[in-house]
Amino acid sequence: MSTIAMPEPDVGILARAPQIIAALESVLSAGTVISSPEETRAYECDALTAYRCPPLAVVLPRTTEEVATAMRVCHELRVPVVPRGAGTSLAGGALPTADSVIIGTMRLREILEVDTANRYIRVQTGITNLAVSAELEAEGFFYAPDPSSQLACTIAGNIAMNSGGAHCLKYGVTTNNLMGVRIVMATGDIVELGGPLLGTSGLDLIGLICGSEGQLAIVTEATLRIVPKPEGARPVLIGFDSAETAGECVGGIIRSGLLPVAIEYMDDVCLRAVEAFVKTGYPNCAAVLIVEVEGSEAEIDHQIARIRLIAEELNPVEFRASRTAEESLAIWKGRKSAFGAMGRLGDYLCLDGTVPVSKLPHTLKRIGELSKAYGLEVANVFHAGDGNMHPLILFNANAPGELERAEEFGADILRLCVDAGGCLTGEHGVGIEKRDLMTKQYTADDLAIQMEIKSVFDPAWLLNPAKVFPLEVSQPHREAAARCP
Amino acid sequence: MTFTDKQTNNAAAAVSPTSEAELAGFIAERHARAAPIRVVGGSTRFQSEAIAADQTLTSRRLSGIVTYEPGALTLIARAGTPIEEIEAAVAAEGQAFAFEPMDHRKVLNTKGFPTVGGMVSANISGPRRIHAGACRDHLLGVRFVDGRGRVIKNGGRVMKNVTGLDLGKLLCGSHGTLGVLTEVALKTLPVAESQQTLAFHDISVEAAIEIFATALATPFEVSGTAFRSGTAWLRIEGLSPQVDYRRERLSALFRDREIDIVNETDSRMLWRGLRDLHHFAGSNVPLWRILVKASEAPAVVARLNALGGDVSLDWGGGLIWFESSANGSAVRNAAGRGQAMLLRRGTLPNSDSFPPEGASIARLSAALRQTFDPAGILNPGLMDK
Amino acid sequence: MQTNFTETQLADSATRRSNAILRSCVHCGFCTATCPTYKVLGDELDSPRGRIYLIKDMLENNKVPDEQTVTHIDRCLSCLSCMTTCPSGVHYMHLIDHAREYIEKTYKRRWDERALRWLLAKILPYPGRFRLALIGAKLARPFRKLLPDPRLRAMLEMAPDRIPPASENDRPQNFPAIGSRRKRVALLIGCAQRALNTDINDATIRLLRRHGCEVVVPKGIGCCGALTHHMGKVEESHAMARANIRAIIRELDGEGLDAVVVNTSGCGTTVKDYAHMLRDDPVADDAARVATLAKDITEIMSELGLNDPFHAAPLRVAYHAACSLQHGQQIRSAPKDLLRAAGFEVVEPRDSHICCGSAGTYNLMQPAISSELKARKLATIEATHPEVISAGNIGCMMQIGSGTKIPLVHTVELLDWATGGPKPRSIATALRWKREEKQVFGIEDFRLGRP
Repeated sequence: MSTIAMPEPDVGILARAPQIIAALESVLSAGTVISSPEETRAYECDALTAYRCPPLAVVLPRTTEEVATAMRVCHELRVPVVPRGAGTSLAGGALPTADSVIIGTMRLREILEVDTANRYIRVQTGITNLAVSAELEAEGFFYAPDPSSQLACTIAGNIAMNSGGAHCLKYGVTTNNLMGVRIVMATGDIVELGGPLLGTSGLDLIGLICGSEGQLAIVTEATLRIVPKPEGARPVLIGFDSAETAGECVGGIIRSGLLPVAIEYMDDVCLRAVEAFVKTGYPNCAAVLIVEVEGSEAEIDHQIARIRLIAEELNPVEFRASRTAEESLAIWKGRKSAFGAMGRLGDYLCLDGTVPVSKLPHTLKRIGELSKAYGLEVANVFHAGDGNMHPLILFNANAPGELERAEEFGADILRLCVDAGGCLTGEHGVGIEKRDLMTKQYTADDLAIQMEIKSVFDPAWLLNPAKVFPLEVSQPHREAAARCP
Repeated sequence: MTFTDKQTNNAAAAVSPTSEAELAGFIAERHARAAPIRVVGGSTRFQSEAIAADQTLTSRRLSGIVTYEPGALTLIARAGTPIEEIEAAVAAEGQAFAFEPMDHRKVLNTKGFPTVGGMVSANISGPRRIHAGACRDHLLGVRFVDGRGRVIKNGGRVMKNVTGLDLGKLLCGSHGTLGVLTEVALKTLPVAESQQTLAFHDISVEAAIEIFATALATPFEVSGTAFRSGTAWLRIEGLSPQVDYRRERLSALFRDREIDIVNETDSRMLWRGLRDLHHFAGSNVPLWRILVKASEAPAVVARLNALGGDVSLDWGGGLIWFESSANGSAVRNAAGRGQAMLLRRGTLPNSDSFPPEGASIARLSAALRQTFDPAGILNPGLMDK
Repeated sequence: MQTNFTETQLADSATRRSNAILRSCVHCGFCTATCPTYKVLGDELDSPRGRIYLIKDMLENNKVPDEQTVTHIDRCLSCLSCMTTCPSGVHYMHLIDHAREYIEKTYKRRWDERALRWLLAKILPYPGRFRLALIGAKLARPFRKLLPDPRLRAMLEMAPDRIPPASENDRPQNFPAIGSRRKRVALLIGCAQRALNTDINDATIRLLRRHGCEVVVPKGIGCCGALTHHMGKVEESHAMARANIRAIIRELDGEGLDAVVVNTSGCGTTVKDYAHMLRDDPVADDAARVATLAKDITEIMSELGLNDPFHAAPLRVAYHAACSLQHGQQIRSAPKDLLRAAGFEVVEPRDSHICCGSAGTYNLMQPAISSELKARKLATIEATHPEVISAGNIGCMMQIGSGTKIPLVHTVELLDWATGGPKPRSIATALRWKREEKQVFGIEDFRLGRP
């Protein structure tokens, strides 16, 4: 079907499937192992549905110790393990192979400790991102990283992908808010890293684990930094008649010394789709920025006044500052509905390349040209403050050949991002989606050291197979791993 | 051409390459011979005698800002660039490193100049770390030469980047044991246009910790929380009206206490002194840096005081500076679940510098060092004992 | 999502509809977060996304479903929380309804399962039979521990302490408006509700009349078909729907109707979907007319506005949002706004979007999951320390009421009371009890449920 190859499954493992399943069932509590083909099918993909493959089995443990037990069995039997959070990855991060066992964290949902005096919360990682903030609501705190999927995605997945979100311009991404982890190693050993201390005198292993896409270990518990809730927040909406002017406005705001919590960008294709879906009343123009600022009422007014000065220099089509909670919701509504609205237009591929903010106008222009060349429409909706673009390429999955064309177009956009001084992925992760483009961003040595590190944590290369590293690049490592005792 | 530099504190001549390729060639050659190297930046911090190397390598001649884009809040500089040079360049655009790196020269009585590579290698972060995060949180990308002489890049220059493993975090705070940085990309942030400090006098450590916890639970973005000799300080920053508002709200919150307000320039001076530990300058007594859980700070401070010496607190109580001649094991016992690191001065054994690690972490760390530096030539003996 | 249906398969209107629904799903997984069964069981197969996958596989391949597939689909409450959550507007309700119908046609359940479903389908929609069954159940309740099947035990436990006699008001008749007539409405008198609690229809009729509505109980109106529809028994459900449609159309084409008022939101969701249910039926056009006329009682009361709503005590009311109201019909603020306008203090429990586990016959067929959801709901409701709980659906009322001492009423009973009607029975009982307690124990605050 599609262009990214997965390795042939190990026939030896497939032949031993009944024994592997029996071995898992014999050491795990009832209802933990799922192995009937009808049932494993529901786990054949995450939110990147173009790639699908049912796993050999699915294990849904309830404790770290059960995760460790499952890992130990898989390690002893040399079975690949695919970690899975909520399965919301847009990069195929949780895509199984036919010879792999999925270990899901979704049943690890306990809140273990809330410490507002030291400003952290300790949780099992199957809890959803939003549920962490919900738990802190009454204490006046929240957990800052807010990926768009925060309602459903788990902390385990957030750590694996080092997830960002709209508000990371001010609060940082997952790695900036992660203080400690409890991990299960490929061998089944449990290791604790970090905790309530503000750093370590040793190597920053937490920084390495965060964003490692399940290549190094499974994270089952996490200590997360929590932040006091701001007194208030209000957005302004600014419409421009060109993408370039909108880009200039972003630069102007950032240079001015203001630090908005979010600067979001939507282009005309997206604006039309959103308007048809939720009737936002957004201006009909080339680009809209939503800029959110925080603080007390007076502080917000003051910051909005400064933004207005910057924007008005650039003759905006519209400048609409929210004055009430209802108006704020109305401004955010369209942005929050953007992906759903695009989904109504058809299937889409959601990209995640990042470019330096100064290169946004150029990149947008080139994407427009490529869109014409490929004959596929593209909508741009993204976090402009940090240059993290999310072009959505629209296609029809039921039309033969369109997925492949959309993927080719996507790859061109990502190459464009790297050439502009940016990177392949700002917050979704490499997964399988961007795996084969890694050589565009990294040299052989750059990748070699990353794979050597994987070998330190996972000498047999059993964790999350066929992701992140291009297959031909990882082949020697995988072959060496196969020989390792 | 390899240039030797006699200005380092170390008696032996230092190699100071002028290009990344030259540096890589030098390390590759040492790697082939398994010949150890002492890796230094600007030599403003301790020179551990524990490093068993007769050759010093410094990146200080790999100098200069490569790119600075104020509108994108990013700066790329070669590892040997003096921090002073960078601070001047970004200050001209009203920006700075938000993590407020400290300058060790005065307190450690060292010469040289702090370099951006040294800052990253040691993850140097000052008082604002409590609000803005540490150096590692502002590091966007690195280029470095590993122990085999391979030139490696990781990360980039954009604020969000999850492409592959994050080696920048690993290098940051690795004290030159995994590789020698040649170039770093960092996030810059606007300097707040105004700042004020609330000072609480004649209070106990317990009271200070309580004030910090209360203040840090407010939305007023307290960006400095330090304590020394019975005085606790809270720093607030922002746009001018914002700072006035925050001061009012915080003063109201602590209305039962007497509060002095320190304004603008005086406040900046105060925090510069707290950042660089001017209060401990001019002494040769060993200086410890102890990370603790803030709520445990009063108990730890009580135990440290019993050993004899002097403390100051930062990071809301999460960081204790301890000046004392007590021996290493006594200090570590007093630190309890905290981590005590000897910053040096005086005559304590060098093996005391880094606290011991748990078995699994030590094993992982050793395996990683082995991966980056198979011949064990980069600062051997420093972190691995 | 990509789908794989043949042209022949797509010739069937239900499959065509399911294909369109599946195509609109992008598999983002947001729905898992608000699915009650996923919250309890933590397996994606027990979430909307997992079920959508199972259904897709079953329909695309014309499969006779296996036992596991049926189990996971049976576990769905049809609470439709996923539809509120879905950013892409996936119409899960039509998909799961299609799957249930497909399973009913292709899958042979075990004999006891079949017997149970047959029994429920033959009793619940018929108030006369149901009342008899309830009396029987009440008598048998002391012996329930002897029953081997938890589902049978659940049935006995469901029987209320008080089984009311049939209400005269539920017979076909016209109730004239009080004062000048503003609207002429038909009342869907329902089925199980008539056997379990006659106060709801009585209060509805009083409330509507007092607000200028002529209320018609049309001849031939009865069960809306929802109960059997959710079991996949479409022949029965369509027959019931058709009967209702005919009854309503007679009034509509006769003296005319401004609305069909529904006071059991589970039924409301189904009546509003008649156009889709009966799209291929000869009565399709009439079904569409009836569907657009259907209004929840709180919708119509919002239109009318409350007259002189100051007759009730200003109690603290925990509003329980029935799923069929908040998700099925997307009615969220109207009941709360009305209660506030009527002078009550309205509080909502945490996770108000999560089902209480009643879900039609679900509490009878899936007692384990249902009682877990019930316990969670009770805990969150009681945490708000209400004096009274209000809900707009008889199923939720039975479910929640069976686990708490806090009086529980239909929203319409409170609105009726506030605008001059009698004090709702359960509040009157509780207040009387509390007052006695106060006299006996000298308790000062006789407001109920305060901490």
